[in-house]
Amino acid sequence: MRGTMVIYRRELAGLFLAPLGWMLLGLALFANGLLLYLVLGYTGGDLGAALRGALGGGTLFWALLVFLPPLLAMRMMAEESRSGTLEYLLTAPVSDAAVVVGKFLAATTFLGVIWSVVPLYGLLFQLQGSPPDWGAVFATWLGAVLTSGLFVSLGLLAATSTSTPLLAAFLAFAACLGWILVPTFGGQLLNTADALVGSSGFGELVIQTLRSSLRAMDVLRHFHFSWRMGVIDTAEVVFFCSWPCLFLFATVRMLEGRRWRV
Amino acid sequence: MIEVKELTRRYGRHYAVDKVSFHLERGEVVGLLGPNGAGKTTTMRILAGFLPATSAERLEVAGHDVLRNSLKVRESIGYLPESVPLYREMKVWEMLDFHGRLHRMGRKDRRRRTVEVLEQVGVSERSHQLVGTLSRGLRQRVGLAVALLPEPPVLILDEPTSGLDPLQRREVRSLVRDLTDDHTVLVSSHILAEIESMCSRVLVMAQGQLVADGTRQELEQRLGGSEGVRLEAFVGADPSGALELLKSLPGVLRVELGERLGIHQGFVIHGEGDLREDVGALAAQEGWAIRELSSQMRSLEDVFAQLVAGNAVELAGAKGLDESSDPVLDDGGGLLQLQSSSAPSADPGGEGKPARKMIYSLNPFDQGTSRDLGAPMEIDDPGSSDSKPDDPEVRS
Repeated sequence: MRGTMVIYRRELAGLFLAPLGWMLLGLALFANGLLLYLVLGYTGGDLGAALRGALGGGTLFWALLVFLPPLLAMRMMAEESRSGTLEYLLTAPVSDAAVVVGKFLAATTFLGVIWSVVPLYGLLFQLQGSPPDWGAVFATWLGAVLTSGLFVSLGLLAATSTSTPLLAAFLAFAACLGWILVPTFGGQLLNTADALVGSSGFGELVIQTLRSSLRAMDVLRHFHFSWRMGVIDTAEVVFFCSWPCLFLFATVRMLEGRRWRV
Repeated sequence: MIEVKELTRRYGRHYAVDKVSFHLERGEVVGLLGPNGAGKTTTMRILAGFLPATSAERLEVAGHDVLRNSLKVRESIGYLPESVPLYREMKVWEMLDFHGRLHRMGRKDRRRRTVEVLEQVGVSERSHQLVGTLSRGLRQRVGLAVALLPEPPVLILDEPTSGLDPLQRREVRSLVRDLTDDHTVLVSSHILAEIESMCSRVLVMAQGQLVADGTRQELEQRLGGSEGVRLEAFVGADPSGALELLKSLPGVLRVELGERLGIHQGFVIHGEGDLREDVGALAAQEGWAIRELSSQMRSLEDVFAQLVAGNAVELAGAKGLDESSDPVLDDGGGLLQLQSSSAPSADPGGEGKPARKMIYSLNPFDQGTSRDLGAPMEIDDPGSSDSKPDDPEVRS
């Protein structure tokens, strides 16, 4: 797609030139450092567990993943729509898909830079004479980046539906939070339903289908049972790439649809 | 270079652009004139590929179909939206460099053109300044530089002088005039003076429709015409004899007696064609000492007011609405006053009737907040004191 890299470079530079980018970076580094410190204390100095714990090991990491992509998506879509620069981009000789993908790659790279602090901690440990399991650290980092991509794409889709920045951030936040919570709470609801329905044929079949669907969508499960274990599973790579593709496709369609509503 | 045929754009039931057709030749600078809400920005956004048209028989820019080959069209145009969208966190040269990259210009080309266009718009010394720190006028110039950078054959400029001070307006106008040699320019404004000073041809839009298309002279001649010949001369103490002589001239329809200024008596002679030669010959024959003999032409402003008001009335009539329920909006001071005494459709009775005024105040705090903003307001207008309150032609 022509122009994707031009948009990507501008968006990435824009994130590092804007105060919001540095604020998010500072906040994420603080949270990551705190998590590393807490896990180190909890595991009694297990460096490998602490490094993996800093990426996906605690609620704080997932809170950041639910919080950061909506803010980035808000800045990239709703604010640009309000300031008029989206009109500038959509009348430039690049396709809507190039604009969306460029923005997606920039936001994911930005989050990748944030998560890179964990391998840096590993380097510090190595310099102190305690080399970490680099394979596991790299797999966890890659998983964190791919998971960030999924949430960024979901955030972009939600943020494209409105030009009001605050509403866009809220919608994106709700979408990201929902993506994490629905499989968990949905599973509990299905357990209750299962107890009520009992072992009646059709009802049980429906519940089992829903349960397996929710499990297949459970991003926490996918993350914990592959990336955090240090395993790079192609099925997981497909999972973490196919959802963003679907969301980005929907974002492009929604952006095209917005032209009719402007 | 621009070919538009039967262009329509609807927002729900509302027609923002309604079957508009026009075309621009290479090198033309054409003004799109109309009050706010006339459909100018929508038309430009459609041409720039930002908005899709609801329907169009033909929509081409620089030989490319806007609907089917939008990317080619976008390559061929320099578009400056009214809001001048620029990235505030970028430096001026960075903004231009980014735009050059989007247009796939090579590094050398980008550098060369950046220097050229910054010089052209007069902001060379600001190239390392952040866009966000520039004044509105300078941002407007940078926006123009961005539009000019890839040397597009077609420029679409939406209200390029909006928000500028008079000096800046003059500079931008002169800049646009200078673009004639290399570009086809479509420039919009709701300010008549802007269009008059920049463009050779004017397209007038009102309520989504194209109501006039032509050069200034054509519009004035076709729609404005002569308002008569003004004569000021010494014709003796009693002007009635001169009045009768003037009435007897071939082609004269009526003669109005004007003011008496010292020894000179004023006359306004209405008729067909240019009557100045005949009046001059009569004055010479009768030995009148002439102080002034001139043709009074209707200005483009009168024509514009006539077109816009006439269209509003026509549309209101077509919809079976009362004229007063169809206000023409203005963002200036919130008050629009159209004196349309010269408009045939607004004054069907013709002569002798008082000048009609339509006055709408959009200020909600004017005469109480409960007032219906869509209806004409009652005002004390000393100029209309001779009008009877129950006169249907007097709307204020």
